[in-house]
Amino acid sequence: MYPERAKPKSGAENGRKKRNNSLKPATQPHTNDYTQHYVHTNILPQRFVKNSENQVEGYPNLQKLFRLKEKHVARHATTPYGCRINIDEMVPTLNSWIHNDKLIFDVVMIGCLTDNQFIYPLLTSLPIDRLISKPGFLFIWGSAQKINELTKLLQNDTWAKKFRKSEELVFIPVDKSSPFYPGLDNDDQALFEKMQWHCWMCITGTVRRATDGHLIHCNVDTDLTIESDGSQNSAIPAHLYKIAENFSTATRRLHIIPARTGTETPVRVRPGWVIMSPDVILNNFDSVRYQEDINKVGTHLPMKNEIETLRPKSPVQKKPM
Amino acid sequence: MNLELVRYFIENHATLLAPPVAGTVVNIELLFAMSQTLSRKESCQDPESSSKHETEQWNTFWSDLMDMIALSPGCVSFVTQDAPGNRGAIIDHIDVQTLQIMYDCAVPGSYTGAKGSKSSKLNYPANASLSDRLLTVLDSSAAETPNQQILSQLQRVLAVKPASHTLGQERAQKFTPHSSFIHICSNRNHSSVLSSIANVSNNKIVAIDCNKLQNADQDCPGLLKCAQSKIHFIPNLKPQTDTGLGDCSYLDTCHKLNSCRYVHYLQYVPESLVQLTSLRTRETNESCDSNKRICLYTRGLCCSVGSTPTLPAQWIQCDVRRFDFNVLGKFSVVVADPAWNIRMNLPYGTCNDSELTDLPLNLLQQEGIIFLWVTGRAIEVGKESLQRWGYQVCNEISWIKTNQLGRTIVTGRTGHWLNHSKEHLLVGLKGTPEWLNRQSDIDLIVSASRETSRKPDELYGMIERLVGPHARKLEIFGRDHNTRSGWFTIGNQLNGDSVYEPDVKRKYNTYLQRQKKTHRAPYPTLA
Repeated sequence: MYPERAKPKSGAENGRKKRNNSLKPATQPHTNDYTQHYVHTNILPQRFVKNSENQVEGYPNLQKLFRLKEKHVARHATTPYGCRINIDEMVPTLNSWIHNDKLIFDVVMIGCLTDNQFIYPLLTSLPIDRLISKPGFLFIWGSAQKINELTKLLQNDTWAKKFRKSEELVFIPVDKSSPFYPGLDNDDQALFEKMQWHCWMCITGTVRRATDGHLIHCNVDTDLTIESDGSQNSAIPAHLYKIAENFSTATRRLHIIPARTGTETPVRVRPGWVIMSPDVILNNFDSVRYQEDINKVGTHLPMKNEIETLRPKSPVQKKPM
Repeated sequence: MNLELVRYFIENHATLLAPPVAGTVVNIELLFAMSQTLSRKESCQDPESSSKHETEQWNTFWSDLMDMIALSPGCVSFVTQDAPGNRGAIIDHIDVQTLQIMYDCAVPGSYTGAKGSKSSKLNYPANASLSDRLLTVLDSSAAETPNQQILSQLQRVLAVKPASHTLGQERAQKFTPHSSFIHICSNRNHSSVLSSIANVSNNKIVAIDCNKLQNADQDCPGLLKCAQSKIHFIPNLKPQTDTGLGDCSYLDTCHKLNSCRYVHYLQYVPESLVQLTSLRTRETNESCDSNKRICLYTRGLCCSVGSTPTLPAQWIQCDVRRFDFNVLGKFSVVVADPAWNIRMNLPYGTCNDSELTDLPLNLLQQEGIIFLWVTGRAIEVGKESLQRWGYQVCNEISWIKTNQLGRTIVTGRTGHWLNHSKEHLLVGLKGTPEWLNRQSDIDLIVSASRETSRKPDELYGMIERLVGPHARKLEIFGRDHNTRSGWFTIGNQLNGDSVYEPDVKRKYNTYLQRQKKTHRAPYPTLA
């Protein structure tokens, strides 16, 4: 490709020696500057992340753990439910679920990767602590700007006492043509072009990382997701659900999408989840049937030895061994 | 309806609206008449049309035009609404699509068919189902409502970036030096084949046998070329290595290289490739440098931005928590990487929240930007402090930490509940600085993690593109590796001090003298 430099000098007889030379390894490792490369070529730095297709590439045990967990979660999942209602009917409906149907969820996800979400009004007008069991887990997805606005919830004592913000997750689209490119969030005042979605992961009640392995599996996923090219056309990348499923062993999961997501990207249903959205493709929710389903499945996944041996654990547990 | 006229408008709409015709109806009429006579002479040599009286011809044309407009309102619009009918009328817009639809109604399939779309009946295969046909109608532009058309027009207009943005991007590009860029090979097969060829000793690749590589190239075409042009990571297999376990979480930073049973890798890149790319980069940079000197777009920067040298690195070793910030003057940019106390055992001393949030950062900037590294619960503390110091959080940058292999870090219990693959950098804005060159970068950095708490150097380039090379830039809690030309660094782990700006030097000396006095104060003095 480039032995142009070597070619003029090398005759036919010492050509081999020269080519040998061209393979001589460099002594110092080379590093690329992807930020600079972006400025010159417009190719986004996240394009060069080598494991965005398979996050756990190179770790066979983790790959096995992910496979096992996926199967385990699928085996103990309720039928997929959709509840198609308008945004302004969400709070009354959820209130009726709480008071009349006595429904409660362990994992609640609110929002998705879209602008124009009514997250703060929903959070403040909903008795969210009665909707979520204790311990329970709350994931709130939105634009970085919207999530930033939630900071004032922490200054509100009643909210801050019930929910602890435990992690901040980030989702990154592969490029600017992605359906998840947060284009609308880019005003002229932004100093850097915005490329990410944020999520608050909150915990209510008490769970301990070291001792509550029947409730939570920590350190399985990471706080960063890069969109993979192969993700199916959907308003919500499956990975957002998987993070919640891998973390909590609970089977009662609810996803509320307080936004119109349009016709281009459908809101799909997912086994093990009740999805409430004005655009969800299926409208089959029935609280009696759901409760029967939960009674059959159980509120938590049973322990599985294979998963227990593979999942990362706190160092404290190692001492008695 | 005069179909010839409709067709003429459709086919020539661009010419009719562009100068020199510029939409004047009188001229359009003449042009139309000319084209008509031309085509008629060709076809049937009709002498009568040319003998038509001029006013009569105009009147027919005008009434035909009015018919056309009446049939489909809005297909042609005039500059002045008040005086159509007289000869001064000027057309400012021709809606080609509407005209095409109208023409289609009269002569089915003429336009939609010609454009290759299947909405015309004539083009349907006999067995096309009704639903297929209905679906294609939805796809055709005829289904678009006027609202949708306006919406897409609006979106197109809004998507156009102002010239200042384009120029700023271009300048950022010209001012950013190039550095060698070598792609990393993604073919897993290559690294395993190379591992059988490479001669590894003492955790280093000593040589790659050329003959063996050429032989291997026959089984795995393209390998030789790839080895010469890309970076490869070759497994460093040792007697204790158990490939079934997979990769080591620490890879090249593993301390137990001689006993660890996980797989480690060695980077292989031919020296000649490194030399060649660095030579090419140097050449590009030299040509860029000469271009930079004649930079004409200097908005927000000083006029001689291309030729003025930057100040050498300046720093002061001090305890930031007790230092008098008045000494330093005002800055365009402040970067701070405080050692937040996040209740973890860290290999360095941490600061209390109050020690950090009480820092008089308001003294450092009248207007400008601050970059604050935060982690865990410090994200919220940081946001609150920024607001208290008079900043508005306008961006959040994520640093995606990668390992030796360019993969994100996914193992090793790096976080409490989930593993941490990224770090947060808050960007605060104070005042309304007009001199910024916005959005030449994105809010992401993909860069390898290095020593504990050492942040990526890519940030410096991003900041320099944002504020220009000569803006005053301060880094708080910096260490020796943070000092760099154009920047002022303060922190307690620095070595001594180095100050070039005369006014800072003077203020700093008075500060030091004052410190000495206050230090001596408890003792009785002769004076």
